[in-house]
Amino acid sequence: MTPRLRLLSVLQWIGILAGALTWTGQHVVGYGIGQAECAAGGMHWGIENDVWQLTLTACAGLVIALAWVCSLVVFLRTRGENYGDGPEEPRIPQGRLHFFAVAALVANVLFLAIVLMDGLAASFGVLCRQS
Amino acid sequence: MSASDYVAGGKSERLVPRTTDARNAREASALARRRHGPSPAMWGMAMLVATEATLFGAFIGTYYYLRFKSPQWPPVGTPEPRVVVPLILVGVLATTSVPMQLAAFAARAGRLAATRAFLALALVVQCGYFAYEIHDLVDQLHRSQPQDNAYSSIYYMLLGADHAHVAVGLLLNLWLLGKLTTGLTMYRLNATQVIAFYWHAVNLLTLLVIGTLLSASV
Amino acid sequence: MSATLPPPAPAEEMVERLERMWQSRPGVIGWLMTTDHKRVGLLYFWTTLALFGAGGVEALLVRTQLIRPDNHLVSPSTYDELFTVHGMTMIFFFIIPMTTGAFGNYLLPLMIGARDMAFPRMNALSFWVFLGSAIFLYVSLFMGLAPNAGWFDYVPLASRKFDPGPNIDFYCLAIIFNSIASTLTVANFITTIFKLRAPGMSFNRMPLFCFAFLAASFGLLFALPPLTADTVFLFADRNLGFHFFDAAHGGAALLWQHLFWIFGHPEVYILIVPAFGIATEIIPAFTQRRVVAFPLVAIAELLVVFIGFGVWAHHMFAVGMPTIVVVFFSAATAVVVVPSTIQVFAWCMTFVTGNARFKTPLLFIAGFIFMFVAGGLTGIMFLAVPFDQQVTDTYFVVAHFHYIIFGAAVFPIFGGIYFWVPKVTGKLYFELPGQISFWIIFLGTNLLFFPMHLVGLEGMPRRIYTYPSGLGWSSTNLAETIGAYVTGVGILLLFANLVWSYFRGAPAGPDPWHGATLEWTISSPPPEYNFAVIPKVSSAYANWDVADREEDRRKLAAGALVLEQGHEQPVSSPIDGWFSEIVEMPHDSPWPILLALALSLVFTCLVIHKYVVAGVMVVLLGLVLAGWHNAEPETQ
Repeated sequence: MTPRLRLLSVLQWIGILAGALTWTGQHVVGYGIGQAECAAGGMHWGIENDVWQLTLTACAGLVIALAWVCSLVVFLRTRGENYGDGPEEPRIPQGRLHFFAVAALVANVLFLAIVLMDGLAASFGVLCRQS
Repeated sequence: MSASDYVAGGKSERLVPRTTDARNAREASALARRRHGPSPAMWGMAMLVATEATLFGAFIGTYYYLRFKSPQWPPVGTPEPRVVVPLILVGVLATTSVPMQLAAFAARAGRLAATRAFLALALVVQCGYFAYEIHDLVDQLHRSQPQDNAYSSIYYMLLGADHAHVAVGLLLNLWLLGKLTTGLTMYRLNATQVIAFYWHAVNLLTLLVIGTLLSASV
Repeated sequence: MSATLPPPAPAEEMVERLERMWQSRPGVIGWLMTTDHKRVGLLYFWTTLALFGAGGVEALLVRTQLIRPDNHLVSPSTYDELFTVHGMTMIFFFIIPMTTGAFGNYLLPLMIGARDMAFPRMNALSFWVFLGSAIFLYVSLFMGLAPNAGWFDYVPLASRKFDPGPNIDFYCLAIIFNSIASTLTVANFITTIFKLRAPGMSFNRMPLFCFAFLAASFGLLFALPPLTADTVFLFADRNLGFHFFDAAHGGAALLWQHLFWIFGHPEVYILIVPAFGIATEIIPAFTQRRVVAFPLVAIAELLVVFIGFGVWAHHMFAVGMPTIVVVFFSAATAVVVVPSTIQVFAWCMTFVTGNARFKTPLLFIAGFIFMFVAGGLTGIMFLAVPFDQQVTDTYFVVAHFHYIIFGAAVFPIFGGIYFWVPKVTGKLYFELPGQISFWIIFLGTNLLFFPMHLVGLEGMPRRIYTYPSGLGWSSTNLAETIGAYVTGVGILLLFANLVWSYFRGAPAGPDPWHGATLEWTISSPPPEYNFAVIPKVSSAYANWDVADREEDRRKLAAGALVLEQGHEQPVSSPIDGWFSEIVEMPHDSPWPILLALALSLVFTCLVIHKYVVAGVMVVLLGLVLAGWHNAEPETQ
């Protein structure tokens, strides 16, 4: 594999994995913060829930947006490739790069939507009101 | 077109290693170096590690869930965990990852004697760790029981699960050493790599478990 | 070394040698010792069908109990056992093992051009463990000690205080027992899909069926441990005096619900995603067109399970969690709909732009899309917390999930059975009875489940034993019960058709549908070794790549890649499908069934509280495992 393809491959993996892992982290940590804030023995380190949630959401949103950009780069650089192409010489492995890029473009939009929706709602909601 | 000229996915059938071709350690090592990426056996172990890690994740999540609900943690009447001795012990266990990985490298290089030596070294340390931990567990059980409260329940469940995984690792090492007395085949080479990976996972999980349990003393 | 390959023999001799290599032992012993994925798939198929029948009988008894007000067909305690075991059977003992164990085991190696699963003996083990767990649960039912607190078995109802008998111990242990089988299956699937694809089949050239099964496998792998943790905690609370769920000692009843739904929600996606995989193979065959937006459908399969791990607390909107916690789950629930919708649009566009031939399998898929959309729409309604709090625990929920489960899991299963039965048996089914069975089942299920929405909105609670007259529920319940029996008739007709066509059907030949994937390139039924030549793959629709199939014929004539020196299987790299090595696979073995027996003894000792004996049985288990790993490929 040429260095250019190796770089594209790294970007492709970032694109497909970073968004997913970031949403997972924001979800677990955000839920944990909310649970801790509103429970009897929750840790109170003096930072408000809103600050926690907004920071978390902003960071997560930024990482997911960057992941989307990575997959956009791979998509544009492999434009015209058939995502059904395989590893035969010399088309290694542009087909699967394009395939993952297309998939990641869609996936990261969805993850960004979830993160923005729940992060903003958790930040601006009434603290510890029972639903 | 003859059989030896066939190309599939970029490689000729003639050049691809056949696992049963290896008759001794040197040949097994040569085959291992020619294959692409981890063996199916390693993937199988990765699957086991994934399930067990998730199980421990559920236990650790439970620990914090119950902790957030309790105004006092540990509850009144239950002793806080000791910090120094458990930390030393887990450190000792974590260092056994080094001989285990060296054993895996030695197996891949076809050096049977070195593989056995590193495995034996790791096993001795791990057995020592385990023996002390069991002694310590019995000692702790005299001071508090899992039936006392939710804190003790999750404490002993986490600790017990961890010890059980270490015990399984000890048995795996014993089995492997037994197998290696009669030489190194591809199968045993794969086994060494796979068991080393199991130990790395167990050591990491033990670090997380002890970290969680000791957080009550912070 | 490979340089010592023997000179190429004539092709017929090689294939004969291949046949001898892969031949199973004859008779019953052959079946008990089998590691052939096709035989394991068939064992799963018949066992799950029998359990489907049992679950169906339980459902009919429940429906008949509810046919009119103040009915007393069965006692309330029996009724509790019936609906609980119905739920457990359908989920753990029918849909999961039918889709993963039967369809997955039989078809996955065929679709990827492999000769068997990555771990053939572990595959057999998963079946025998599954069978053991099914017998374990049903023994409890026949003893009148079956689980009786609902399939999600909430504490404190399930605690020793309120459910003192062994019923819930059976629940905990049956679940753990069953999870072992499922975990073994999916570990096998994941390894097989990543490592055993035919060289040249890179990740982006995998059939969509494989993407679906990969998604479901990862789902089960990560969803089952929280359930195991939950049931271990409950068993410990009930029998060893622990306090995980006991609020008086610092525990929390809601802990059960969180851990359960962290498993339970991904579980429901796991139920339907393999069925999506079945649908995405039936549609190309009967429209003779590649599926629209292949990469989007592939990622949607994976996303629906992945995002599905983050929505669990939408099953708990009525328990009083803080709003700032609830919003995480509302948001994720809103977005998890999108991947499913992408798939539905892609399938519909494939229908519209292809030449649809509505044979029976495609009819079932059309029915599936209709019912899945209906059930999905009611599902999205639940993300609105105020609405959810009104309809929680009413028949509205029962309607929703039955539309989804029956519509999105069972319909594709039926369609898939019709689709692949010619491949498995070599005989075509009879088309007209097939179509009639579809319409009867479709009408029956809509009559059965649609009115449940109405009666749920009117307030009828789920799991209710009986109801007084004068509430306006009587005629609706009567209609539903009639629908249940109509559905039953349709299902009986379906299977009668299949049995009759096994004896009197026309020969199917290798490729009756001009299907898209590799299983249609080999004979019906397939030979033991699946592929005489490891196939050349250029796309996810391998059977439609004429040039590649020609190449395979030339390879066979030249004796290339027949791999008949032993039980040989090529192993490739996980993403790009580079040819990596040739491994020797295990063949028939007694160890899987022996290990399953040892495991059954462990669980039996645990349920009768003989813990020391259980410990001894664990030692026995270890010895059997050591025996299993005694033989090595090189020494076979």
